Amino acid sequence: MSYHNSNHMVTIKRKRNEAVFRAIADPTRREILGLLRAGERSVGEIASNFRCSRPAISKHLRLLRSAGLVTAHRRGTSNLCGLNAKPLRAVNDWLQDYQAFWSESLRSLKTYIEENP
Amino acid sequence: MSTASATDFVTEQVSIHAPAVRVFETLMNPVERVKWWGSPDRFSMTHFESDLRVGGKWLMLGTGYGRDVRVEGVYKELDRPRLVTFTWLPSWQPDATESLVRFELEETDGVTTVRLTHSGLVTQASRESHRGWSQILGWLKDYAEKV
Repeated sequence: MSYHNSNHMVTIKRKRNEAVFRAIADPTRREILGLLRAGERSVGEIASNFRCSRPAISKHLRLLRSAGLVTAHRRGTSNLCGLNAKPLRAVNDWLQDYQAFWSESLRSLKTYIEENP
Repeated sequence: MSTASATDFVTEQVSIHAPAVRVFETLMNPVERVKWWGSPDRFSMTHFESDLRVGGKWLMLGTGYGRDVRVEGVYKELDRPRLVTFTWLPSWQPDATESLVRFELEETDGVTTVRLTHSGLVTQASRESHRGWSQILGWLKDYAEKV
């Protein structure tokens, strides 16, 4: 996830994070997450918001579940899906790494120029 | 120096006591760049090749935390010494996709403000399809700041 990761633990974490990044790269999956933010929905309710087929939505939901972003449980005859935003933390961490990188780089630029007028 | 992080880009700003022409040269001249880009025992850039014109390619090599790093891209906009934008494709990024770096320089009374924006950081798709993206990252940010 960043330029300074090299040990094994981080590699495992990175793999998990990649699943999150891949999951949110797709616009339909982002819309599904947006829907679930309002509360739990059945697969049928989710699918009714999209033009694509129900099997296609189910496939998106499987991917979101494997990334840990969506939870599912049965209630009566339907499968209810819910949002788990926690893995999205990885996205924030990734941005923070870049923030630190640019912060240090610009500080170096300033120091160099002002010390070498 | 001020810092801000939002949605799928990061911004950073610094004020340097030097004219914009000098800052631009230090930033973009290959000989100059490798003299300052880095921080002790964290990362350093050792080699920079640059064809500084719109459509021209650039390549930067260095080390970061004990590993070789490589970043490359293409210049997209150029207005010396006020503006340069270029794509950014790093070797250390999983599922590497291009993002966009923008440097804006503004000189006032001999002090140059350098404003950096690095956008499209999360995925290529995020830049191509912004539908739903800003919303998701907005509440992601809310979430991340709470945790």
